[in-house]
Amino acid sequence: MIPFLLRRVVQSIPTLFLASLLIFFVIQLAPGDFLTPAKLNPNISPEQIAALESNFGLDRHPIEQYLLWMKNMIFNLNFGLSFQYQQPVLDVAIPRVLNSLWLVLLNLIFFYAIAIPLGVFGAVRQNSLGDKAVNVVLYFLLGFPSFFLALIVIYFILQVRNATGWDIPINGMTSNGFDAMAPLEKVWDVLKHLLIPALVLAISDAAGLTRVIRGLMLEVMRSDYIRTARAKGVSERTAIWKHTFRNAILPIVAGIGGLLPAAISGAGLTEVVFAYPGITPMILDAINTQDLYLIAGFTVLGTVLLVIGNALSDILLAVVDPRIKVG
Amino acid sequence: MKKVLTLALALTVGNAAAQSAFVWPAAWTGEQNTANKRGGELRLSAISDFKTFNPFTSSEADSITQRMTEDSAGLFFQDPRNDEFIPYMAASAPVVSNNNKRFVVKIRQGMKFSDGQAITADDWITTWKIHTDDKVGSNSRDTFFLIGKPITVKKLDTYTLQFDFPQPSASALSIMSYAPWPDHVFGKAYREGGAEAIKKMWTLATPPSQIVSPGAWVLESYRAGERAVFKKNNNWGDWNKDGRGQELPYLNNLSVRIVADANAALAAFLAGQLDTVAMRNADDLAQTKKAIDAGNLKAFLKANVSPQATSQWITFNWNKASDPAKQKLFRDVRFRRAMSHIANRQAMVQLALGGLGSETYFSTYPIFKQQIDAGLSAGAPTYKYNLAEASRLLGQLGYTKKNAQGFLVDKAGKVLEFNLSTNAGNTVREQLGRIFADEAKKVGVKVNFTPIDFNTLVSQLTSKGENRPFDAILLGLSGGSNIWSFGSNVVPCGTNLHSYNNPTDGKCATSQEQLMTKLYYQGDAELNDAKRRAIGGQLMKVEGELQPVIYLVGGNYHVAYNERLGGEFTANMMDAYYGHRYFPLTFVK
Repeated sequence: MIPFLLRRVVQSIPTLFLASLLIFFVIQLAPGDFLTPAKLNPNISPEQIAALESNFGLDRHPIEQYLLWMKNMIFNLNFGLSFQYQQPVLDVAIPRVLNSLWLVLLNLIFFYAIAIPLGVFGAVRQNSLGDKAVNVVLYFLLGFPSFFLALIVIYFILQVRNATGWDIPINGMTSNGFDAMAPLEKVWDVLKHLLIPALVLAISDAAGLTRVIRGLMLEVMRSDYIRTARAKGVSERTAIWKHTFRNAILPIVAGIGGLLPAAISGAGLTEVVFAYPGITPMILDAINTQDLYLIAGFTVLGTVLLVIGNALSDILLAVVDPRIKVG
Repeated sequence: MKKVLTLALALTVGNAAAQSAFVWPAAWTGEQNTANKRGGELRLSAISDFKTFNPFTSSEADSITQRMTEDSAGLFFQDPRNDEFIPYMAASAPVVSNNNKRFVVKIRQGMKFSDGQAITADDWITTWKIHTDDKVGSNSRDTFFLIGKPITVKKLDTYTLQFDFPQPSASALSIMSYAPWPDHVFGKAYREGGAEAIKKMWTLATPPSQIVSPGAWVLESYRAGERAVFKKNNNWGDWNKDGRGQELPYLNNLSVRIVADANAALAAFLAGQLDTVAMRNADDLAQTKKAIDAGNLKAFLKANVSPQATSQWITFNWNKASDPAKQKLFRDVRFRRAMSHIANRQAMVQLALGGLGSETYFSTYPIFKQQIDAGLSAGAPTYKYNLAEASRLLGQLGYTKKNAQGFLVDKAGKVLEFNLSTNAGNTVREQLGRIFADEAKKVGVKVNFTPIDFNTLVSQLTSKGENRPFDAILLGLSGGSNIWSFGSNVVPCGTNLHSYNNPTDGKCATSQEQLMTKLYYQGDAELNDAKRRAIGGQLMKVEGELQPVIYLVGGNYHVAYNERLGGEFTANMMDAYYGHRYFPLTFVK
């Protein structure tokens, strides 16, 4: 295990190096910089702009900027200073990452809770009316971007709200007066806000996984050892969940590594639609204002987690499937 | 005896308090709070998240510190009725000496920060010092300089300040009206750690309980990406009273919710979750009207209250060494007047702004009506939409023949054409450019209109040299005051937004530019309002005749707010410059 991890660490160095190089210089390719809008401000003098440029290090050559950034990152774990916030990138990003994490975790719970039973049901009752109905709905959802689904859901919630006066939160993460609430009230308040975006995300994503599970289950169910197990008289429940399902989910376990970076990269445009204070709105804002180090620092963080996540899923795979060995 | 003493003491204290309070004129509200309504929350919104609590590093328009001190901190306060400055944190009008360059200001006594510490001269001195430190990078730094020379602030005693200006300035009282930040917080850090220490203070991670405010509001809580809630600064009411001597503000809280975009803000307003929101266009107005008519929303709505304080214009590049023919053309006043005649401003208002806008002909925004009137009475010309006149002027330039495609050609057969760019994504500007290009085609001018990336555009516009990389640019400016409504970076030669002519040495190319530069500084130094406006009128006349920049149209300002709010301005005081209310006088019915 240890040599495997060590090898992974060594292998990841060129990957990270190339990724950081790419991230940094792709950002540099965009014309202008953080201070461009200030140049159009009649109240800011060119001297002041020049002073800010040297303050932010924007007057240096991009290669010099890159090397300095790299140096700080490697030796001090310092991802640079966000121009807009005038704060270290990590200080800005981490509260947002935590917010996104809650949403993504709840989404994952819903995601598996929807996809696994539906996938198994589809395989067990293959081509039944129920299976076909589920298929139709899922194909429909598969073609829907989640943010669009979110907009539709918001529309319906607003109609319900107008009709009944029922106060269903549709944006943000907390209600007014959150700080004065008791701890349990706070948990419930956040949960209330998370529920709908998490569900929307899970429903629109579950379509894909349900299809995968259904297909894998069908394949395994036809194999000899299942037939043997059934012939030996194991119950239907054991045959499906213990023998079939366990073997069918291996490819899914292999994909778990992707969840780690996904968890911190937030829930994408759904966050924007629900005005949820997660990662995506912040990154979009940073891209808009060309907040160089915030974008670059955050992307590097994502890349690191991707590398770690992949190593983790390799290990997990070895745990689930005894045929695979790491080391 | 004791009773008498207590009474005497109470009288003295009461008297002192009365002397030290600023009384908000009852005439500043159309609907006064006579029912003693107190409490409640004013619910506002912002489109982008707050970036810092720090007043010195903040670069946003509606920052946390701006919200805390908006209309509630500063030595002087502009009266929306007549634009005049009245003493606010200053105890009285300043004593002016040294040829209008020295201002000695007595500070109102008895004012306190939200943490209970007295507000004294030291706070203004420290604030000025930090704002002007290059290494801090304050956005306000330039406001403390005049023609590149610093304005200095000196403490004469605990309650007296002395401002020294390098030259007289009409904006002096406005410049002096910056919000004072606590010396006991920032001064200490600055003396110990310099600019670096200041930059580390009051970040978003700072607990709101540590934030200190001189204004009406102080931060109560902040949740990143969601909302900032402010509570009233109880010490502020000690020296801010309404017309009946009651403490202000009436409201307990002010909250700013962060929404995804302007559409989300409008939706929240229509759902009754926000108290006021900016109406951007006819669509917003229509939706609000619909909601009011359907009975879903009880709100006040008034369209076209005033023009916005913005401009949209086309500038031609006079520094095109690579193409002498074009340079000569762009430098010819007849060409630029023809271009102004081509601009169909009425169609632009109708088509691009949905009928909700104003035609503009000068760098002064139409909202600054007194200045516009002064310009028109000085004889400032307006080159209105007139294609025949445009053709005549172009004919004078030698463009009399058209080619097979219907475009004007010179003697050598070269088509009269130029490239016009604007920033992609700004739909209004894209429409303005199309309308201009279409009209130009009618008289035979080929305008190659292309929206391009905003940053590229700005770097083209602000570039310096003999050969700058553009033909013509359609863009807009905003910002400016009604005291001296001309841009310090726009009018004088060599400044960075003197967009049409910006050679390496920054010299004027024409005598009119020289005159405009001279008039700009002359007006800025004139303290008498009427005389200053007259100088501005002269400036507008020269500018109008030269037509260096073709001004097009500007949008209008509309007012919408929830009817539960009271304390708004009288109808004739509302405009894009002052808004529709002062928050300290606002109350919830």
